Amino acid sequence: MLEIKNLKASIGGTEILRGLSLNVGAGEIHAIMGPNGSGKSTLAQVIAGHADYEVLAGTVTYMGKNLLDLEPEERAREGIFLGFQYPVEIPGVNNAYLLKAAVNAKRKHQGLPEIDAFEFLKLAKEKMALLDMDPKLLNRGVNEGFSGGEKKRNEILQMAMLEPKLAILDETDSGLDIDALRAVAKGVNALRSPDRAIVLVTHYQRLLGYVEPDRVHVLSQGKIARSGDKTLALQLEEKGYDWVREAANG
Amino acid sequence: MKPAALSFEALRDAVERLPDDRLASSRRAALAHLAEHGLPTTRNEDWKYTDLAPVIDISNRWLQRERETAPSHEREKMVEQVCRSIDADWLVICDGAIDNRFATDFEQPGISVTRLSEHGGELQFGMPLSDLNAALLQDGLRIHIAGGATPSRPVGILLIDHAATSPGMSQARIEIELEANSAASFVEYHVSSGAADHYANTVTTLRLGDNSRADCVRIQNRAGNHSQTGRLSVVSGRDSRFRHCAFDLGGKFIRNDLHVDIARPGAQVEFNGLYLAGDQQHIDNHTRADHRVGPATSTQEYRGIVAGSARGVWNGKAIVYEGADGTDASQTNHNLLLSDKAEVDAKPELEIYADDVKCSHGTTVGELDETALFYLRTRGLSEHEAKQVLTRAFAQAIVSKSPIASMHDTLADRIADRLANLLQGAGA
Repeated sequence: MLEIKNLKASIGGTEILRGLSLNVGAGEIHAIMGPNGSGKSTLAQVIAGHADYEVLAGTVTYMGKNLLDLEPEERAREGIFLGFQYPVEIPGVNNAYLLKAAVNAKRKHQGLPEIDAFEFLKLAKEKMALLDMDPKLLNRGVNEGFSGGEKKRNEILQMAMLEPKLAILDETDSGLDIDALRAVAKGVNALRSPDRAIVLVTHYQRLLGYVEPDRVHVLSQGKIARSGDKTLALQLEEKGYDWVREAANG
Repeated sequence: MKPAALSFEALRDAVERLPDDRLASSRRAALAHLAEHGLPTTRNEDWKYTDLAPVIDISNRWLQRERETAPSHEREKMVEQVCRSIDADWLVICDGAIDNRFATDFEQPGISVTRLSEHGGELQFGMPLSDLNAALLQDGLRIHIAGGATPSRPVGILLIDHAATSPGMSQARIEIELEANSAASFVEYHVSSGAADHYANTVTTLRLGDNSRADCVRIQNRAGNHSQTGRLSVVSGRDSRFRHCAFDLGGKFIRNDLHVDIARPGAQVEFNGLYLAGDQQHIDNHTRADHRVGPATSTQEYRGIVAGSARGVWNGKAIVYEGADGTDASQTNHNLLLSDKAEVDAKPELEIYADDVKCSHGTTVGELDETALFYLRTRGLSEHEAKQVLTRAFAQAIVSKSPIASMHDTLADRIADRLANLLQGAGA
């Protein structure tokens, strides 16, 4: 589904990704771990199409298409979802409005009619219940005054409504208390399906206790330094990131 | 360059051609005042950013020609459009003339509507452009709300102008008085049609009796070639409440002056505004609150979205006089610039001569938040849609402050239309 080859990318003239390669297949959950500054968030932003990042070399192929040719909104409509590390507060834009606009943008792209208002509300409330979200948040400004946990749940809600083919969750677990972490994990697990891929970008092993990954990759200095199964995350937790760095350099 | 000057000979002739009615002596006195003082120039601090040359030019050209009135079908179309979209009891002033059909039929308990010419009182003309207004005024409206009256529907005042083939000019004057313990709401709606230049000059006075309440919404949605200067002077009574919200959506060269005189304690004054400017538009809002006594509060928030080569001006002044203790005055102005060529001049002014006061002001000029734009695009909205969503949200903050709730949806629609237009023009 997603094939990244020798990707090099920079921001503000500083090269962050230095030849990263990664394959993610349908039905798989991948965890991308690594210390601060290793390039985890950069990878997520480049896949979503943030204009501040310059791709210097390499290819990113998604469902057989050259992803780097597409605008961020085209990527979204083609089924890519990025869960933000720091979800943006947009005062004055109603949360339900954005959800509906997002769902309809995708439906339009697929040649489907706009979602029925009643159907939409029913679906949104259903997903919110799964995430233990207060339905009132639907009528607030997007993330406006939301707690850290509410913001992350709101990202998962958007993902659940959009049913992406490829979801990249950028440190969705950071700053969450145990209840919020469980709710987020529940939301992610509910989306597990043979035709969907999920990439969890995370600093800690914590979330992986709730969402079991098929593959774990460790990023160091803009490259994948080590890949393995779920036991790699546990090893990391025990030995720390220095262990990977040493192994990579050694 | 020599400042543009009004051609006084032609002006005098025009004043003399108006009917010899009860307003005639006021018109001549205003003309004499204007001849002596002239119109303000950019050397005057209050007019630093707004050079009246374009409207002086229109006035001079209009003075050389016969008056043009809107073809009746054109006029009816505009009347119908506005009256249908906003729930109010309407009065109509067309090309500066009071439309008899509306003024004569106006019958609401507690509200009396008369023509200024019926009263024969002196027209006030001490302020800039109010002398021009008084000199050329055909007739004006007086709206009187009886003591204790609380009409349920807003009084709508629709001002229509038309200039299709030759330059147009019109004067309108509205005097509103609320007696003690009354409460009423007012909608002032300015529209126009035609591709020729036009200049409308309005003067509105509002006198609030003790413990009375006035809620006002002003919408200016003139044609792209049409200019306007308007002055609203408010005198607030003891424990009165005045709320005003202004929306400038159209026009070419616009200058609004809003002046609130707080002469009695306990007054609550709130005025907010939104201006959307594109192309070569120039929209200037000058506000002033005179806190002569305390306690009293005045709060204001103006927001502007400025695109193309347009210019937005906001100047908010609050003067707290000696002894006006217990004054709480705040003013805010936020601006979004949608193009490199757009310009905003924002100037808060506080003059404080009392000790026990709370005053604050804040001004921002910025661009659309790139992070928010990207966030929306990752949710599938196009760049254009994302910009529309963000600019609408920015404007909505003022719509929600507008004191007549039944108009919120209509306002939001008009604003969305105008924003779509601005964003298109901004090359978004």
